[in-house]
Amino acid sequence: MIKVRIPTPLRPLTRGQGEVEAKGASVAEVIANLDSIHPGLKQRLYDETGELRRFVNIYVNEEDIRFLKGKETALKEGDEVSIVPAIAGGR
Amino acid sequence: MVAHARELNPFECCGLLAGRNGAVVHHYRITNTVANDVRAAQVFDEAHVKGLRHLPETTRAEVAYFMDPKEMLAAFKDMRQRQLDLIVIYHSHTASPAYPSTTDIGLAYYPEAAYLIISLEQKSKPDIRAYWIRDRQVVPAEFHSI
Repeated sequence: MIKVRIPTPLRPLTRGQGEVEAKGASVAEVIANLDSIHPGLKQRLYDETGELRRFVNIYVNEEDIRFLKGKETALKEGDEVSIVPAIAGGR
Repeated sequence: MVAHARELNPFECCGLLAGRNGAVVHHYRITNTVANDVRAAQVFDEAHVKGLRHLPETTRAEVAYFMDPKEMLAAFKDMRQRQLDLIVIYHSHTASPAYPSTTDIGLAYYPEAAYLIISLEQKSKPDIRAYWIRDRQVVPAEFHSI
């Protein structure tokens, strides 16, 4: 199983849980599995073209998947996936 | 936070405050990487807020901030280890009032945190105000300095 950290804006979909578990051999598979358990998650993470929304940072352990293989990044038992929305703004 | 804002002026500073039961006990300065992270402009475009692409990279940090994702992750991990909650997300406005801009509102993805703004519009008299930004609604957040 893969441990997934859920950011607060998405916790209404996971019954308030900040950490959930899911199955999958890649980030995309884990998100698909999560969505089957917690419907609606996928829609919040992907845009209409099926790509991850830009403001969503996803890390495998400490590594940003942007610098790995994006949503196709491979996962193994015991990996931790963190979903962390960007923090940005300006005047 | 005011010292951080002054040090980086004319660029915007940013950071996080964490604590327990609404009382802040820890301060994390986070690097503003708006000028050198290619994703920043993409995130701003996606949210349909202030476009960054027409600005030279050297001046982007004067009008916007983007927290370094790696430092953010490290700060959140540290909060978990210390059993602290995120309480405040702060940044500075170097030449505008301490009120959330449409950019700030469009990019507010953390409903549980108060968004605090340090305005250096009047250099000798920094103005500090905090707000809840939820579903694009802005409500002043009360805070006390002790």
